[in-house]
Amino acid sequence: MSKLTLAIPSKGRLMEQTTDMFARAGLVVRKVGHVRGYRGEIDGLPDIDVAYVSSGEIAAALKAGSVHLGITGEDLIRENISDAATRIRFLQALGFGFADVIVAVPACWVDVATVHDLEDIALPFRRLHGRWPRVATKYVNLTRRFFGSKGFGDYRIIESAGATEGAPAAGMAELIVDITTTGETLRANGLKILDDGVILKSQANLCASNAAAWTPEFEKICAELTAKLSASVPAKAASRA
Amino acid sequence: MTVETTRNLEALAAQAQTLMSVFTKAGYEAVAPSIIQPADVFLDVIGESLRARTYVFTDQDGAELCLRPDITVPTCRLHLERHADPATTARYCYNGPAFRFQPQGATASHPREFRQAGIERFGDKAREAAEAETVAIVVKAIEKVGLKDWTLKLGDLGLFSSVLDAADVSPNWKKRLDDAFLKPLSFRNALKDFASAARVESPGVPEELLSAVRRDEWEKSEAAVAVYLEENAIELLGTRSLADITEHLMVIAEDRQEKPLDASAIELIERYVGVTGPATTAGEKIAALLKGAKNGAGAALETYDRRLALLANAGIDLSRVTFSAEFGRTLAYYSGLVFEVNSSCLDAKSPIANGGRYDGLMRVAGAQVEVPAVGAAIHSERLLAATVKGAQ
Repeated sequence: MSKLTLAIPSKGRLMEQTTDMFARAGLVVRKVGHVRGYRGEIDGLPDIDVAYVSSGEIAAALKAGSVHLGITGEDLIRENISDAATRIRFLQALGFGFADVIVAVPACWVDVATVHDLEDIALPFRRLHGRWPRVATKYVNLTRRFFGSKGFGDYRIIESAGATEGAPAAGMAELIVDITTTGETLRANGLKILDDGVILKSQANLCASNAAAWTPEFEKICAELTAKLSASVPAKAASRA
Repeated sequence: MTVETTRNLEALAAQAQTLMSVFTKAGYEAVAPSIIQPADVFLDVIGESLRARTYVFTDQDGAELCLRPDITVPTCRLHLERHADPATTARYCYNGPAFRFQPQGATASHPREFRQAGIERFGDKAREAAEAETVAIVVKAIEKVGLKDWTLKLGDLGLFSSVLDAADVSPNWKKRLDDAFLKPLSFRNALKDFASAARVESPGVPEELLSAVRRDEWEKSEAAVAVYLEENAIELLGTRSLADITEHLMVIAEDRQEKPLDASAIELIERYVGVTGPATTAGEKIAALLKGAKNGAGAALETYDRRLALLANAGIDLSRVTFSAEFGRTLAYYSGLVFEVNSSCLDAKSPIANGGRYDGLMRVAGAQVEVPAVGAAIHSERLLAATVKGAQ
């Protein structure tokens, strides 16, 4: 019989936190076979097949329906799946992996506090520098959707794979859209968050794919897993979702 | 995705031949600009909103390229390659594929790959004459293909500027409203802002700085901003200079000093934006609006009337022509006249042809100066569909 597949992050802090979280819920996740392998199982929930997937690819796997469940950041889901509302069910916010997707500009822009102000400087900037202000980000879709909802379109996206916070100082972009937890890295790079610049308050979520093949049996197992996990999520985190 | 049938392909080829023969007979040189274009020009012209509709890709050398979303910008680039002086007069026509991502999914009336047949003319100093001729040639070409049932919709992005003059709007508000006109959402906000005392509050911008900057004391103002940054241990970084920041602070401070837009100006602007209807009566409506304005109608309506007269002279039946003050506001690079041709055989959101004046585009494409430019493109698949449907 085919099993219900759950994708969890294959490495890094998200994997550790996921394992801890499962442990708090009384669930021991262990790898099957070779220690470097990418399959696992959960003690006490034999009908779940665990797949270790790099966290960036969990969204894609959920989108395609190649896994039933996945644990990943809401930011990655919203960025990679344009119609997340129909393709994905957010079952449980897990209380870790907190990250805000934000718009940040150089702190020396004392004349800019909101997206509205950005709009005001875009045209003078273009007249002076011959191009629209550039936004460095890896969240291309979130950025476009957020600015679009505010009627702001006078900018250029520069795709940035890493160290995005350094882009303004390096002259690669004028502002950034990135994730932050404490704001420390932003401050260290001379940046500030716009007053209305929080695009998304993200955290790790247990998500279900609507594209996967679901059976009543799978639904039951999924409900059982969700109940166990939700019992061990701090109340505050759960309400944040 | 629609798989094309041979019959469609042949019909499109025959139609293109007819269109191109009308264009070339009228003195337009047939050109074929590259299909693959640098993405920069397009994204810089239209901003990030177009990226969502353009197939952008990176080649093996890391250059950011795109499949052309229209053929107007490529024709501008071709013109610049040929002529050291971008203001050289020239007339071009083309027929070829263009590509647009369709966020709602590709359909027959909104395909992701379509053919555009069009004309562009550069450097003409007789503005309204060039505009009327462009419209007339497009209509002639469409009729030659066999479409009898067409309507023409006009807009005029320059007319708004004249309305602001008539309403005696201060130079500052005028510049800002002119800039905002192309963006309906920010335009509404701007009107609201400039009309109320709310703009006096600039939340998040340090009050002490706004009172420290004065245009007649530029150096002192810039120094005040520098001191503020230093006292707050803020490092000056990035592309915008201390002067850029000071300049914008001044604009904010000046906005606060400026008298709010008065109610009569706002009413005039709002009523103008709402003008729509047959082109002949729309002119009368605007005239009636401007009659009561502080500075009178001025030259604005002369242009409007002259253009209509030129269209009539060129053989356009004015009873088929409508005007909408709002029309063209979201059409990216146009700067004056805008128009589209519709057919009752297709829905209103699927125009058969559109075009207009775009004097600023050549500059974005690399010229040092603005070049008078008017052009239009026909959506081949739609024209074919409308013609076939109309013949049934």
